[in-house]
Amino acid sequence: MGKQTIGQPVAGQAGWRWVTERGLRVATGETTLARYRLLVSRALPDVEDIVPADDSLLLVLKRGAALPPSVRAALIEPLDEPSGAASGTRHEIAVDYGGAAGPDLNALARQAGMSEATYIERHAATEYTVAFLGFQPGFPYLRGLPDTLQAARRASPRQRVPAGSVAIGGRYTGIYPADGPGGWHLVGRVHAALFDPQRQRPALLMPGDRVRFVPS
Amino acid sequence: MIEVLQAGLCDLVMDLGRPGRAALGVPAGGAADRAALAAANRLVGNDPSAAGLEIILSGPRLRFPSGGVVALTGARFDAVRSSGVPVAWNETLVLAAGEALTVGRVGTGCRCWMALRGGLASPLVMGSRSTFLPAGFGGHRGRPLQAGDRQRCGAPAAEVKLGRAMPPASEAEEGLRVVAGPQIGQFDDRGLARFFGTDYRVQPASDRRGLRLAGARIGHRRVELPSQGVLPGAVQVPPDGQPIILGWDGPVTGGYPVIAGVIAADLPKLAQLKPGDAVRFVTVEIEMARALAAAPLEIRELG
Repeated sequence: MGKQTIGQPVAGQAGWRWVTERGLRVATGETTLARYRLLVSRALPDVEDIVPADDSLLLVLKRGAALPPSVRAALIEPLDEPSGAASGTRHEIAVDYGGAAGPDLNALARQAGMSEATYIERHAATEYTVAFLGFQPGFPYLRGLPDTLQAARRASPRQRVPAGSVAIGGRYTGIYPADGPGGWHLVGRVHAALFDPQRQRPALLMPGDRVRFVPS
Repeated sequence: MIEVLQAGLCDLVMDLGRPGRAALGVPAGGAADRAALAAANRLVGNDPSAAGLEIILSGPRLRFPSGGVVALTGARFDAVRSSGVPVAWNETLVLAAGEALTVGRVGTGCRCWMALRGGLASPLVMGSRSTFLPAGFGGHRGRPLQAGDRQRCGAPAAEVKLGRAMPPASEAEEGLRVVAGPQIGQFDDRGLARFFGTDYRVQPASDRRGLRLAGARIGHRRVELPSQGVLPGAVQVPPDGQPIILGWDGPVTGGYPVIAGVIAADLPKLAQLKPGDAVRFVTVEIEMARALAAAPLEIRELG
């Protein structure tokens, strides 16, 4: 839908789509974090925000602005390190698994054909990468959940999920920063404050950070 | 200083929001009609970004212990001063010490904005004084005003020039103008015909996070869609085929196909939709949407 001028490189632009006239969704696949870092490292004109998501980035332009040529160039520039891994902060987060803190653990473990203890062991054995934040302020979508632990979202969401709940939703595990409705399966709870707007760094976990859960 | 004698349905402290933090999961938020808040601020000698009140459907009763200078813009509400004199819109109002202002029910539309000389002095949270209700921060303790609340105002930015002014009028033409969304290809011809050819009604379960609509079911291919970045105006269609227009405090990512996006120039129209209103979507080209949005937020000085 964007105008293409003859003679300009078009490689990669097949996955560019406008969400509104201000929001360009760019399919980035495995390179999402690397591309995100490259874009934030540049002083890009007319860009109000950049939203990393699941295999894509959303570029939000200032009101009335067209996509500047320098931004267009930065979107197709080759990446030094395409995966963008191995540069985030490492976190170890203590989790109370099961019981009242993780009311869905038992059903999930049974569905996966394993004991609760095995489910916990596998969930805690993996190093996750923060793919992006969304849903609520500070809510991390953690990539790396083993296939055997994955589960489709609940048919009907809960009205209230307690803050700190560690949850499973499709191929992601995540942590609810605040009380609120939620459709993921709850397997445990952390005491760490995931989001505090008064902190210098409001979100505990940032895109590209790595996370290990430690059963407490 | 204002004292809340009686709260309205949902009176929120708002400024121009906190853009640039979506990577933290925080939407830009801010006044649902930036031009309307800016016009009100101008009438009381404030910077356009000063914090005021966003009032919806039924407003508060406020007392000004040491007087004040205020202005109201946006949808007209049934509002009166202590004396019983009706309050004019788009005008500078000077209130005497101890005077009260009662903002009653809305006539046509949904929201209005009240600027107060000096601006409401709620603390800055992540660069803005705007209330973000979904996570309970910003504004007045992260919540709507309640009876008994007191709010101070800051130092005025400029001399008040008594006057009348209003934000640009939204185009009289019918319909919300949209550009085609990234997943428009997932919708079948019948679904598209319904979306663009029939009216949708705003549902009661609508708020600043999103406007829920109901009408002819919009069919689409169900494919597992990865969560993608979204922004205010994005029109998502969940599996039930009933569209949701994401609002100012909506999530920054979403997993439903986006059929269309309301253009920036028409976001103020969204601010005035209330439950029961009918909505019709019309398409425009991206270049036209940009040209409409690039027009300066001109405030018309009235005689």
